[in-house]
Amino acid sequence: MSPTAPIPRPAARESRRDGKPDAIQARGLQRTFKGGVEAVRGIDLDVAEGEIFGFLGPNGAGKTTTVRMLCTLLPSTAGSARVAGIDVRDDGAAVRRQIGVALQEIGLDPLQTGRELLELQCGLYGITGAAARDRSRELLELVGLMDAAERRTDTYSGGMKRRLDLASALVHSPPVLFLDEPTTGLDPASRVTVWEEVRRINAQGTTVFLTTQYMEEADQLCDRVAIIDRGLIVAEGTPQELKSQLGHDVVSVALDGADIAATKAAIGELAGLERVVTERETLALYLEDGPGSIAEIVRRLDGEQIRVGAISVARPSLDDVFLQATGRRLEGRQEESQESEREAVA
Amino acid sequence: MTEVLLLGRRAVREVVRLPAATIPTLFIPLFFLAVNIGQISKTFPSTTPFLHGQGYVGFQLPVSLMFAVCTATSGLALVTEIDQGYFDKLLVAPIHRSSIIFGRLAADLVRGLAVATLVLLVALALGMEMRSGIAGALVLVVLAALWGVAYAGIGMLIALHTRNVQATNASFLIFFPLLFLTPNFVPFELLTPLMEALARANPVSYVIEGLRSLVLEGWVLHKLGICFGVILVTGLVLTWLSVRAIDGYDR
Repeated sequence: MSPTAPIPRPAARESRRDGKPDAIQARGLQRTFKGGVEAVRGIDLDVAEGEIFGFLGPNGAGKTTTVRMLCTLLPSTAGSARVAGIDVRDDGAAVRRQIGVALQEIGLDPLQTGRELLELQCGLYGITGAAARDRSRELLELVGLMDAAERRTDTYSGGMKRRLDLASALVHSPPVLFLDEPTTGLDPASRVTVWEEVRRINAQGTTVFLTTQYMEEADQLCDRVAIIDRGLIVAEGTPQELKSQLGHDVVSVALDGADIAATKAAIGELAGLERVVTERETLALYLEDGPGSIAEIVRRLDGEQIRVGAISVARPSLDDVFLQATGRRLEGRQEESQESEREAVA
Repeated sequence: MTEVLLLGRRAVREVVRLPAATIPTLFIPLFFLAVNIGQISKTFPSTTPFLHGQGYVGFQLPVSLMFAVCTATSGLALVTEIDQGYFDKLLVAPIHRSSIIFGRLAADLVRGLAVATLVLLVALALGMEMRSGIAGALVLVVLAALWGVAYAGIGMLIALHTRNVQATNASFLIFFPLLFLTPNFVPFELLTPLMEALARANPVSYVIEGLRSLVLEGWVLHKLGICFGVILVTGLVLTWLSVRAIDGYDR
């Protein structure tokens, strides 16, 4: 199979949960910036009520531009979009009442305390007086910032700022929540905390549209995922659907000093072997039946007296899906693996 | 209206919590007041006809007030918010975009009232008298603060159009030619013909003249009327342009 062969997009209607109506729908959505830069080149989206929908792609793929169009912050050049059943072009104000937004750049006023910021945010959504104070307290407790409520936000850590930003997007209990790379730049522990918050918010019925460049995040959190690359959606489905469409396992052979060419030659032609990819000190064998091939691989290497470090088998990951759809790895994966390496070293 | 009050209260809180943004705007007017008086007061003693029996400090006070209230603070606050992402948070809230502008202007009014009062108190301490009395002093402070509100539109316009901190900060420099092409050191009649023509064409001259009349002459209604008119028109035009700029932001 060619690495850039497109993965068929399943009909959104089929993969929607429980046949619920759309919370977000886009048709042929496009945005071209001055100078002719086509950030988003005609995308269709169908996000059902109550879903956590992942929008996965590398930097510059068009994720943030899409979010900004759906949030009414940026007009589309062509196409249409409806959020909570309202056309974003026709009635932006009505859309804004139905959505909560936490953009990639954390939107906090550094001179206000956490409590002041949330109370102001409540006021902007028409919640005032005691109701605003109660709601702010409730949200501060939800995101675990009660102890820091009276501190100015410029004294918060990155994780605290992200959690407060998330809380500020929730003051009016919006039915649709947009989170643009909510965990970028966070340490692994803070990332997990944000994931837990997102799950908790979603469990209350909120539809979550989440952009990310982290495969693990999309895999862990999202009911469905769309992969965007260079302004186009190149794959869409549940993480499981996308991975199963690849139809192969990945057997990794850690070379541990063994000769690459000799190892490849020893393994030779295996039944169901689709391709072999060399990554650093590892051979990745894409096979139809990984577990069933392990014994044969070991036998062949043993027959040629080639000693390798380890052999493992894994199901395809979303990164493999991304590789298959775009012909390259996702940048976020590199960060993830670097973090894992740092943790392993530590 | 509620959103303007909420955003205004936040902006005022900013002024209080970030004195470093206001203190320099006080230093410059007080510095110029001291330097100009020190250099020129002997040239123009209180017997000089255009001083109406007062010292030169009364003649210079309106110029210092202009310096004190005309800042790029609101524009800088706005462009910083754009830079930090909080501006997007406000744009995505279901509020009128104009309330972001009016909230900033509310803070400008409060800051203007405070700094104008301080500069006035310094001038009084230097021996200046208010010929229009306490009521005149109040009107002087309010008019100066309103001029600061009117002028704030320039900084906000530049902030919204350039989205650049340096460019917005530089907007303060626009005020220098506007301030110095006025009867700032001597009355219109003592300027060279070219300078007089330029000064008479400059609306800031009439704001200075109106404020100066309260200090030196008492209640000269036609001067005050023109002064208020200039402030009103400038404020309406610049605020309208700012509101238009924010309404069209990324649209």
